[in-house]
Amino acid sequence: MILTGSEIRKQVENGTIVIDPFDENQINPNSYNYRLGDHFSQVPELLSLGHKDQETNLQEIPEDGLQLEPGIIYLANTHEIIGSSRYVTLLIGRSSVARLGLFLQISADLGNLGPAHKWTLELTCVQPIIVYPRMKIGQVSFWVPTGDIEEYSGVYTQYDVPKHSIYDLLLRNTQ
Amino acid sequence: MILTGLEIIKQVEAGKIQIDPFDVEQINPNSYNFRLGATIKYYINDVLDPKVKQEVRTVTLPDDGYTLSPGRIYLGHTFEVMGSDYYVPIIKGRSSSARLGLFIHVTADLIDIGSHNQWTLQLYAVQPIKVHPGMLIGQVTFWQVIGEIEKYRGKYQGSLGPCESKIYRDFE
Repeated sequence: MILTGSEIRKQVENGTIVIDPFDENQINPNSYNYRLGDHFSQVPELLSLGHKDQETNLQEIPEDGLQLEPGIIYLANTHEIIGSSRYVTLLIGRSSVARLGLFLQISADLGNLGPAHKWTLELTCVQPIIVYPRMKIGQVSFWVPTGDIEEYSGVYTQYDVPKHSIYDLLLRNTQ
Repeated sequence: MILTGLEIIKQVEAGKIQIDPFDVEQINPNSYNFRLGATIKYYINDVLDPKVKQEVRTVTLPDDGYTLSPGRIYLGHTFEVMGSDYYVPIIKGRSSSARLGLFIHVTADLIDIGSHNQWTLQLYAVQPIKVHPGMLIGQVTFWQVIGEIEKYRGKYQGSLGPCESKIYRDFE
């Protein structure tokens, strides 16, 4: 089951869902609009095993906007710290931004139950588009799971900046 | 929890889900196939600035089809007027159009409860693809909610045909 907007508000108030900073005006009937953070990073053209210098190209999104170009993946993050150990988080786009052809995720919208953090966004655009820091860019929904909960203990929640793929993890069972 | 096809039929009959026109032939085991409406819009500008109201060009789809080109975002719409004040709709592509590389939304699959419209589709073709008016282009699922329901009263309510982004209002 999906939480309604008023249920999200209630669960934020009692601490079961973390959205920080939280603004009532960003609540929708069954989701919450999150904002774009202040930084972005481009993914290297060719990733290879053992790539270690991926965090070094972190840059600020200028106040007067950053123009994204098609064919490139930009990593950014949510302005808000978001998470819940009780409800499953789905991070998606919002239609006002989608209508301009901007993807917020690349087929990976499902979050893990576990600690709150700033979520990494995978931005890619169909046509060139300008993004602004802290613009309302996507939405997050929360879902009731069934079964015993084991929280996420992976590495990505340790990061509040756009976190590059730990590419080696994808390959660890192939050798 | 997601509604089964049989439950969707039941809730349409009970008036708790709106799908208009409704054709029982378009029911799947746990979704409903919707059709592509006859109108498409695209932006005149190449570079899209969300702070600026974007001008669009409107195309009526000819019966023998219209080719979508990669590199441009097209706004289509569902032929059906759909919505629910009780269940949350989530739209999906159909695997038949997905296998041809056609996106029908751009990471925005969640519809607000209480939003009754011809829903705007964000069409993006990986390779050139021909679309036809009335084709069964996507599917909609319906999900149960927990919590008190406050219905959608937003800026796209009641829209017919494709509706371009109104995000510039966020910056006013």
